[in-house]
Amino acid sequence: MSTTGSVKDYFSALYSAITTTVTGLWITGRYVWGVKPVSIEYPEIREVLPERSRMRLFNDVLNCISCTQCAMACPVDCIYIASVKMPEGSEIKKTSNGQAIRLQLTQFVIDTALCCYCGLCTTVCPTECLTHSHDYEFSQYTIDGMKYDYLAPDVIAWRDRIVKS
Amino acid sequence: MLNEIVDLISKNIPSAGAVLNAAADAKTDSSITVDAGSLFKVAEFLKNNSSMPFNVLQCITGVDYLEHMHVSYIFANFDVNASREFILKVKITDRINGNVDSLVSLYPAANFLEREVYDMFGIMFNNHPDLRRILCPDDWLGWPLRKDYVSQKYYNGIEVFPDHKMNFEDREFIVRQDMIKKAQLAAAKN
Amino acid sequence: MQSRWDIGEPQAPTINKDTEQLKSELLTLNMGPQHPATHGVLRIEIWTDSEIVAHAIPHLGYLHRCMEKHCENMDYRGIIPYVDRLDYLAAMNMEWGYVMAVERMLGTEVPRRAELLRIITAELQRIGSHLMAFGTYAIDLGAFSPFLYAFDMREKILRLFEEVSGARLLYNYIWIGGLWNDYTDSQIDRVSAFCDEMLVEARKYHDLLSMNKIFIERTANVGVFSLQDCFDYGATGPILRGSGYKWDLRKNKPYSLYSEMDFDVPVGDGEFGQVGDCWNRYIVRMKEVVESVKIIRQAIAKLEPGPVMGKVPKIIKLPKGEVYMRSECPRGELGIHIISEGDTKVPYRLKVKSPCFTNVSMIPRVAPGQMVADFVATIGSIDIVLGEVDR
Repeated sequence: MSTTGSVKDYFSALYSAITTTVTGLWITGRYVWGVKPVSIEYPEIREVLPERSRMRLFNDVLNCISCTQCAMACPVDCIYIASVKMPEGSEIKKTSNGQAIRLQLTQFVIDTALCCYCGLCTTVCPTECLTHSHDYEFSQYTIDGMKYDYLAPDVIAWRDRIVKS
Repeated sequence: MLNEIVDLISKNIPSAGAVLNAAADAKTDSSITVDAGSLFKVAEFLKNNSSMPFNVLQCITGVDYLEHMHVSYIFANFDVNASREFILKVKITDRINGNVDSLVSLYPAANFLEREVYDMFGIMFNNHPDLRRILCPDDWLGWPLRKDYVSQKYYNGIEVFPDHKMNFEDREFIVRQDMIKKAQLAAAKN
Repeated sequence: MQSRWDIGEPQAPTINKDTEQLKSELLTLNMGPQHPATHGVLRIEIWTDSEIVAHAIPHLGYLHRCMEKHCENMDYRGIIPYVDRLDYLAAMNMEWGYVMAVERMLGTEVPRRAELLRIITAELQRIGSHLMAFGTYAIDLGAFSPFLYAFDMREKILRLFEEVSGARLLYNYIWIGGLWNDYTDSQIDRVSAFCDEMLVEARKYHDLLSMNKIFIERTANVGVFSLQDCFDYGATGPILRGSGYKWDLRKNKPYSLYSEMDFDVPVGDGEFGQVGDCWNRYIVRMKEVVESVKIIRQAIAKLEPGPVMGKVPKIIKLPKGEVYMRSECPRGELGIHIISEGDTKVPYRLKVKSPCFTNVSMIPRVAPGQMVADFVATIGSIDIVLGEVDR
């Protein structure tokens, strides 16, 4: 712009540069006093996540009917399900919303390292047993540790904490 | 609107063989097919005519149908009073040496777009100033978006799909599902 | 079927003899792919003559994730998370563009409340995206504090989206036929409160950066895109509007319920320099934030209770045919071209015409003759998101 020109241009440019910069400094300066810090000291203070937050998946295997709809809906194919027919003569259990469990679940593994947390699997679940929990701290030392077997007893034990009612 | 364009093209460039591919209903778009040889003339006419000019080339895509390929050009007119757009198609039957005239001298936007189509489908564009691969590396083999594409095994000494890193459980899962279905069908028959 | 070996060896890059001789005198500078000023993994090979850029050659593909090939094996609902990842700063707008194309082929009626909420969501996302552009552009030019102000407001949008959709960046919220979740009344109130706050903040941004003399000197008269160039290269969005052409799909070819909304389309007027320079592109974005606030307020006033999900078949199969759907994203026009062969659960071909891809192709046109520092300002003013360029 006014890189070449009269002395008047030079000083007017200098003046406007100083005034506009001071205006900006005044705005930032007001934050020095009276504005509360917004940082959260994370490990000590944890925020409660919103109700719909989509974090690690949890499958309540007691209510699962092995329909494999979640595995079909998954866009990255990270859910592995296997099931066998119930042995003859065994009593047919019901899920919490009254559907009969006709197949016995033998494997329900989710590779969390592949999961993209889109939530498509939870919406197709007919018994609403597959849900997003609010656990977000699950870093692992090996990538195999990201595979969660929901039939393992230690994972089933999460149920009391995650499943309401 | 497309009828008028077909009329205009066939009146001014009879050799183009413009054909209207009418859509079945309002849910889908109609398109116009012209001969690959006269594409440049048609584009030149579309850009410079006075009754219905198209000043912007929005997009170039390719589609592979295994027997032949299509290159679709989407022309638009950015006019506040007469906004219009349509799909112009060119059929390419030669899958090995398929080529079509480049539109870079008319619409510079075609430069990158044609490079992308070349990269993905292996369609050559005549008179393109700088026809290189754009998204894949320069020494990549094969044309990824063709339907019969098989990726190469090694790329510069790197294994492309290393077996020890593949997720085989995924594949096994699908096989298992098939077996379960078969077992269920057999059980239903008995 | 042809073997893939029949198609011949890949073509070696052609080398122009004249420029090759010229190269001996020019210094080749490699900008990127890990350069902060390129907003991602854009690599630009610059040939400089002392401090003047003689050639700039963008090398794309560092974020190429084969999205279009993936989508050929994906059902229509499963594509939405992939579309999210195109423009990760404006994922809602991307979802909306894709979903509109599918809805048009399906012939789905979207409930009125869902359309209005989509407008609110998309405009909030547009504000968030423009704030990000504002903050990073300031950082490009050496001003750090505006970035913090921008992120302060952007955080409020992301918090809201997290409560509504469950995710902060990649939402999967706009679904075929409607929306996943409804906004609660208290969330709508928060949107209104945000709108009031945003207008106050926008004035602050002007004092902080837009009217700053140093910023104006860095951006005015720099990187001028002429209107003819914009048409030739197919540039859209703030680039086209910054060059002084009043073109906005929301106004000129209204989709959804935008025809009911009353808003202006800001264009660059060359207040401090020429029309089409970096400052104009920047100020168009900042003015669009205010217009978006206007649209959100009107949409909130029109809101009525009702369903947010239309009738959609459980398994989506599109009829045979093709559709090209344009929508206005923060960075320009997004075009989704779906070709369906009928009676399959997957698209035969899905092409994304991304606005940034065409905008990037303008770089070789505008770069020659600029100083390197001005070149950084030019790239920043295009506001590239590489996820969308490379797909």
